[in-house]
Amino acid sequence: MIEFTLQLLSLTAAAALVVIGLGGMLFLDNMIKKIIAFTLLSDGVNLALVSLGYVEGGIVSILLPGSSVANFPDNAVLIFGPGIVLTNIVIGVSTTAVLVALTMVLYKRYGSLKASKVLKGERK
Amino acid sequence: MNEPITNLWSIPLFIVVPIITAIVVNLLYNKSKAIKVVSFASSLLLLAIAIISPFGFQWFTGQPGVLPGGGYTFRADVFAWRLSLEYYFGYLQQIMIFLMSLLLVFVVSIATKSLKKNYGTYIGLIFLLYMSAAIIIMVNDFYHLWIGVEVGSLLVAGVVAASGDAISQKAALKYTFFSALSGAGMAIALALILGLTGYANISDAIRFLGSNDVSSMYGVLYVSFGFLMLAWIYSGGLAPIHPLKSDVYGSAYPHATILLQTQSKLMLVAIGLVILRLFGTLPFAKEVMLGVSVLTMMIGVVMALLQTDFRWTLAYLIVSHSGLVTLGISLGSVLGIAGGLFQAVNDVIYMSVLLLCCEAVYYYGKGTSIKSVSGIAKKSPWLALAVVLGAFAASGVPPFNGFQSEILLIQAALSGGMPEIAVVILMVSVTTFVALFKTIYSIFLRPEEPLPIVQPDELADGKKSPVPKVLFFALAVLIGMTIVLGVYPQLALNFLTEAALKVVYVPWVP
Repeated sequence: MIEFTLQLLSLTAAAALVVIGLGGMLFLDNMIKKIIAFTLLSDGVNLALVSLGYVEGGIVSILLPGSSVANFPDNAVLIFGPGIVLTNIVIGVSTTAVLVALTMVLYKRYGSLKASKVLKGERK
Repeated sequence: MNEPITNLWSIPLFIVVPIITAIVVNLLYNKSKAIKVVSFASSLLLLAIAIISPFGFQWFTGQPGVLPGGGYTFRADVFAWRLSLEYYFGYLQQIMIFLMSLLLVFVVSIATKSLKKNYGTYIGLIFLLYMSAAIIIMVNDFYHLWIGVEVGSLLVAGVVAASGDAISQKAALKYTFFSALSGAGMAIALALILGLTGYANISDAIRFLGSNDVSSMYGVLYVSFGFLMLAWIYSGGLAPIHPLKSDVYGSAYPHATILLQTQSKLMLVAIGLVILRLFGTLPFAKEVMLGVSVLTMMIGVVMALLQTDFRWTLAYLIVSHSGLVTLGISLGSVLGIAGGLFQAVNDVIYMSVLLLCCEAVYYYGKGTSIKSVSGIAKKSPWLALAVVLGAFAASGVPPFNGFQSEILLIQAALSGGMPEIAVVILMVSVTTFVALFKTIYSIFLRPEEPLPIVQPDELADGKKSPVPKVLFFALAVLIGMTIVLGVYPQLALNFLTEAALKVVYVPWVP
């Protein structure tokens, strides 16, 4: 019998976001929708990263003055997950900005947001 | 715990100097002379640092390593759980960063000479590209490896898009979309390894996997291996996503492609070695890496044969020869890894020669297609000589450097009991020769068409070449290097073999 812990539920939600994002990026034809799908994918990855560091009944992994160090390593949540998430958010925003900027430039040139039209191969 | 922390002074400079330069030249924007001075001085400074820097570590957290038997140490030569984000500068890093710095000097000189105005941002992007490659080759933790690959991918898109035409912008957009996918995959791989081992430091994670029974976690290991492979394939433009990378190479300025291909090779080496160190003992891991490498070599070289434009021929050959680099690493033996690393060094040099020749052809005003350009050898015999020598080096003809690394790879394949791989290497070598000389004949040696090539004013009197002197100087230096490394391979090989020995026998040592 599978126990539906908070970690399992959030990992399932993350997987759903990743699948929806991936599907959108691969199969949608509108450039803006592709970019939105990418942000969903990125959010899914972030949720997965946070969920992997989850500890049932855990404490924030900051050793405050006066707090006990005895059980700290066992109870503290894995700090690296949230650390990576912060960076991933910054990288996600940067990537989105680059995608939007390039889409705008190509829209001005071709007057369309259809990937099948805008990204059609041609050589100089 | 009385030992002082011994962070190496030069490592932060490889990151900080390019960032500061990028900010300054971006602010200067259209002040051409100031940009030239700042960027040239900065690239020379980076080259000097690469030459004089001693070897050592940079431990970001500043905390000491924990000795297995108890106690602490800051010493890098003593095994300890590092527990730290870490950069390492050793033989391999010095050779790679020296080479990249030298190419940066040439690229900056040529770019500031050939571009007319408002190129501050473009030069800034080139410096940041250098920075991302330096991060990737020095890093010994998953966190910075991931950031290096992500930032590097965005910078590649930026440099390509800066070429300013539709095909470049399309190539940049497609590349960025795929970078989003592989970056997300790499983040998941990182999280899985972190969750399994508890360590962000690559040395610590390898040590953990080597000293604990993880057979029950093979599923997780294979998933993280798969995602890291995706990042490796993407960053180096290996099959099956080679069209994306060849689009990137073919649509950027040829001088920018020099740094783009260098960055790709460094990413292939860095991520490839991490995969090998982490998953080398995993069943079928090396075989998957080998399969991807062979596929890349063959598809790349066949596609190169079909091209009718010099820059696209080179774009596909760069992809194909990336397969040679990864093939050596995938073999997993000392000989194979040393051969792969040496191939990366040689490949960067001779492809730079060919790309510079391609850039030079542009100055004659009719592009680089074999349908529109001919008779360049008559206009510039020195350029024709340079491209022929570069083609010899790329095809593995002695006494050039390509011969030495390819013979090493063939030996490694034969000693590993894989003669079929040796045959593929030979086939790639021969096909490279054919693809290059087909293009070289058409552009350089074929008699000029009745309509003369459009000539800039300087060429009208037949006395002055339109190609900048700095380009010829760069060609001379790089061709000299192909011959020196071909005749005295031990100049690089001794150090690269030492790096290969560490990967095979003490994989936790960066």
